[in-house]
Amino acid sequence: MLPFNTLLTIQRTAAITSFLAGALVVAVVIFLITTSSTSEDKTSVKHKVYKLRGRYFFVLTLCVIAGLFISLRLLPYTKFQEKPDEIVTIVAMQWAWKMAPGISDKSPADFEGSNEITLPAGRHIQFNVTSSDVNHDFAIYNSKGVLIAQTQAMPQYHNKLEHYFSEKGDYHILCLEYCGMPHAFMVGIIHIN
Amino acid sequence: MIQLNPAEIKNQRRLVIVWSITFLIAFPLLIVLGLLMRLNQGEEIKLGIDTFYVLMTLHGLGMAGVLYSMAFAGLWYLISTRYVRLSVATGYVVYFLILAGVTGLAYATLLGKFGAGWYLLYPLPFKGTFWPTWSTGLSIISLTVLGVAWIIGLVHVVYALSKEFGGFTNLLGWQYLGKKEIKRELPPIVMITTISLIPGLIAFLAGAVFLIMNLMQYFEPTLAFDTLLLKNLVFFFGHTLVNITLYCCLGWVYALLPEFTGREWKTNKVLVYSWNATFFFILFAYFHHLYMDFVQPLPFQYAGQIASFSSAIPATAITMFGVITQLYHSKIKWGIVPLMFLLGVAGWAIGGFAAVVDSTIAVNAVLHNTLWVPAHFHTYMLGGVVLFILGFLFYLSHTKEEQEKDKTAKFGFWLFVIGTHSFIATFYSGGLRSIPRRYNDYSGIPIEATHSMGAFLARLALIGIILLLIGLMVMYISILIKLGKKNNTTVIQAAEA
Repeated sequence: MLPFNTLLTIQRTAAITSFLAGALVVAVVIFLITTSSTSEDKTSVKHKVYKLRGRYFFVLTLCVIAGLFISLRLLPYTKFQEKPDEIVTIVAMQWAWKMAPGISDKSPADFEGSNEITLPAGRHIQFNVTSSDVNHDFAIYNSKGVLIAQTQAMPQYHNKLEHYFSEKGDYHILCLEYCGMPHAFMVGIIHIN
Repeated sequence: MIQLNPAEIKNQRRLVIVWSITFLIAFPLLIVLGLLMRLNQGEEIKLGIDTFYVLMTLHGLGMAGVLYSMAFAGLWYLISTRYVRLSVATGYVVYFLILAGVTGLAYATLLGKFGAGWYLLYPLPFKGTFWPTWSTGLSIISLTVLGVAWIIGLVHVVYALSKEFGGFTNLLGWQYLGKKEIKRELPPIVMITTISLIPGLIAFLAGAVFLIMNLMQYFEPTLAFDTLLLKNLVFFFGHTLVNITLYCCLGWVYALLPEFTGREWKTNKVLVYSWNATFFFILFAYFHHLYMDFVQPLPFQYAGQIASFSSAIPATAITMFGVITQLYHSKIKWGIVPLMFLLGVAGWAIGGFAAVVDSTIAVNAVLHNTLWVPAHFHTYMLGGVVLFILGFLFYLSHTKEEQEKDKTAKFGFWLFVIGTHSFIATFYSGGLRSIPRRYNDYSGIPIEATHSMGAFLARLALIGIILLLIGLMVMYISILIKLGKKNNTTVIQAAEA
């Protein structure tokens, strides 16, 4: 299970790799513009570029395979090897969150829960997420405003999001799927004690 | 090469000019909608929440529709004046149907207050709406009209090409894979057109199914369709539309860049393998939009990431290295057209990389529906597709010498590029700081750091948007002055030469 400071590293890694890739593209553009005043026979250019392309193709293919191999082992779908310690039912509705411990046997429309819930730290929590009307997205933010986990809240379906809260504090729930006019005001809170 | 008489060329040129003028009017208006949205998010103006989402819907639908339509119109012109005779009448039918669809959408949003977002995520258009029911109906019908227009256009092009080049498989370049002698060379633009438009056809049909189901729901409110199925349909449609818009423009780059470098760019076995692989990547990459739907079957989630990652191989190793082969030590004169194409390819590369990052399931879990998403698609649409389109418009309006000497246009171009990337940088920063997308403003977020950073970045974005708008207007002056003047046959003669 990844603690949230590791997840923050995922965002940082995304930033650093994207910046480096962008810088490489800019460097290639500048190189092409500044060297274009020289004239060289097309066959000779082709020979040079194709040689480089062969190597690039080989390296890129390896990177793609390695990238897939590593990242496909870090899926957010089923994180826990063992059974969760707590199950929480989450029902999204226009425009509030209903949250309550346990598995509910009521229909999403009849389910009763609160916008606020308290859960223990250091436990494996499974959120059983659905919606009583339209699509929403159950997104958990830590107190620093970092998005640490999310899943869609869909009518007719139950998405199971598993998360381990290693740190105590207040975690806010925001909706990350456009669900109508007050979408940006659909807020909930999880207290981790 | 077909033999066209000057009257036929003149008619096709008139058609593409009608398209171009329409694009030139619609595009900045749609940018202004985006500017208003960022002003509101920056808390500089106070739009009603309903107005914000109306603007968001029109901005998204309008941009996707206008950019694809212009990309298609450019392809139509290049193909109809070089490779196969296309019916001008059909071209106008497509144009007027699109105009009708766009007018319907503008009416439904601006007057009917329809604000379900570009994707009408089922069942949102029917539940808890702030707009009247008729505007939902009008939007669905208008989108259907657009879809019909696009299908008529692409079927006409692919059918005409198929007849001209001796069958559909020849358009995919399969004759290059055997040992038989090639009787007629296949221009890359023809292969890329086919490989873009066929997934386009499949996606538009999926979109049609989605719209018909919505229309049924509209007339019979007690119906309840499967939400996951409809989500798959709409993202398959939307993702593919945007994806092929870019590929249509790349077709022009393959056709036009050699005219400036003097180096031919021909179809060969590697190019055929590469683009045929791309055909499948276009079809399967859309699954990456549904990673956060945990109930989606796992093989689809894998397919989304594998297709998205793999698409980088042909894109960079073949097309981008192809551009390098064209330009390196080419003694090219850097007129505005090749500059636009080079910087457009760069925008595609940067946006494409950011897309691959977001298509990693583990990363998507913390970037999905944050500002990272508009960041990457604005990079390859505004920093890629729009530059290709503007490059094409300069090609259409300027002679080769004129586009080399037009210093005012080049000034506008650099202003546009700097503005675009500064504006997009605020989206990337927002995504990395978990700022949600599709928020009318950030005042409802109880985390102060997120609220203040979201508003600050929105205000910062205004500088970039204003710069890019000024750059665009400077280029407009140059394009519009020359568009009416240029000798009709110059472009074609230059191409044949």
